[in-house]
Amino acid sequence: MSSWVNENCVSFLHLFCIKVVKTGRVPQHIAFIMDGNRRYAKKHKVVCGVGHHRGFNKLSETLKWCLDLGIPEVTVYAFSIENFKRSEQEVKELMDLAREKFRSLLNEIEQINEWGVRLHIAGRLSLLPKDLQATVSRVMLETRHNNKLRLNIAYAYTARDEISRAASQLVKGVKENELSVDDIDADLISQTLELGEPDLLVRTSGEVRLSDFMLWQISKRTVLYFTEVLWPEFSIWNLLAAILHFQRHAPEIEDDPPIVQRQQDFLEKIETKRWQDLEKLVGC
Amino acid sequence: MLARFFGNLLFNLVHLVIAILVAVNNVYRRFWRKPAISRDEVTKYDLQLVRENVPQLRKKLHHLVMLSDTEEHSLDDLAFIVIWSLLVGIPYVTFYDITGDLIENEQKFFLEVEKRKKGIPGFIKWSKMPDLNGFSNGTQPHTVNVNIFSYDDGQPKIAECIRKIALKELPCDSSSDEFTAQELDKSLSFMYTSIPEPDLALYTGSSCRTFGLLPWQIRLTEFIKLSEDSSINVSDFLGALCKYNKCDQRYGK
Repeated sequence: MSSWVNENCVSFLHLFCIKVVKTGRVPQHIAFIMDGNRRYAKKHKVVCGVGHHRGFNKLSETLKWCLDLGIPEVTVYAFSIENFKRSEQEVKELMDLAREKFRSLLNEIEQINEWGVRLHIAGRLSLLPKDLQATVSRVMLETRHNNKLRLNIAYAYTARDEISRAASQLVKGVKENELSVDDIDADLISQTLELGEPDLLVRTSGEVRLSDFMLWQISKRTVLYFTEVLWPEFSIWNLLAAILHFQRHAPEIEDDPPIVQRQQDFLEKIETKRWQDLEKLVGC
Repeated sequence: MLARFFGNLLFNLVHLVIAILVAVNNVYRRFWRKPAISRDEVTKYDLQLVRENVPQLRKKLHHLVMLSDTEEHSLDDLAFIVIWSLLVGIPYVTFYDITGDLIENEQKFFLEVEKRKKGIPGFIKWSKMPDLNGFSNGTQPHTVNVNIFSYDDGQPKIAECIRKIALKELPCDSSSDEFTAQELDKSLSFMYTSIPEPDLALYTGSSCRTFGLLPWQIRLTEFIKLSEDSSINVSDFLGALCKYNKCDQRYGK
């Protein structure tokens, strides 16, 4: 069984309810702030690391539900740049957890490819330990042709950092005459960012803030859904409730803004450069 | 074919049941709540309620944002938020103008606030209006600084900042080939007047969206619902502040 996509978490009743909810509009991109692992550990009197492990298991269940619901893109906030401020022990545990999970993903890569899951790790990768940088780069390269579900994992990420990195690329684009200054507008910034706009953002554990996650992307049409449940206790019913909420409140779909050829060329160029950089990281 | 028909039927039934439950809940709230006493002035009841509740608010609120939709909220209602903030001692209050109507009617809004201000100690400073208090410094005690922001103050302003950096009209020193958040923040501080990041954003209605509210500044802003319908009253306002006070900020730790 794959540890990344839990196949055995859907009963007949679940499947039936998924089918009913799927009749309506389903978000095409859903983002999660998976909050509450540590509070869960405290509540159940287990060590912090167990909470994080249970949190990861919940992610594998959620991915299965999203696949069944036909949601093509899921983004999760796994580790913020601010989280480096946590105790050395906890940061080490979280890095080890990531190492273990990404390595197991590479071991079961055939299964992942069969599911059609494409992984993208979004964040300032240079802040991660060198070996982890190489592992996550390999994960991205090996799954790049999958197209059923795109899973973005925000790791060593903050939205401000993401906007700043996009700004650097745009300023560089002007400097190297790939862009004119007037090409830089809000839409081009949106497309230069690593993550796309979600339709629905779910934050668990009762917190009602964004904590520096996707600040730019949620501006226009994202429905924010805050729920009290702790992430390791998040169930399919919570997910379906979030989707029903989305169906009641989603704004109408807008067409993508037009894009000029020069902007298109620029975006293609930075995409190619990104893949080249990842190949270099794998080689190191 | 039949399965799809039943699927659709059940789907519509589920949404119908939710709609009925929400409607019943709204009717219940409307009939069982205390009616607003007066809408023209801040009443003794308001003052008493504020006086009773303010001592419980231990977490200092620096900047409050009201997500204002002029199709739902009247200028009268929004004007009260300025007065209540003055009574509570919130130094910065921003109205985020979703429809664009509030900016057009800023003068009218200003007069509505001034009308209700009578007899209340403290000063109201409008960022875009001449100062009637005779003070040019917004740091006096019991001063509330009022701003109205719109979509243009968010994404388009950040885009303008990046254009200015590209044109070298604004400095952005980078220690590596990619700007850090702190470096871009420094450049952006030239674009925005110095106001603190919002601590709290209030919205009404059952769904929460930011509508493009200051994307750079809202990283730690708490989004709290003021009311389920679009009503604005002092007890809901104080209730939202109490809710904010129970929130525990951890700054990533």
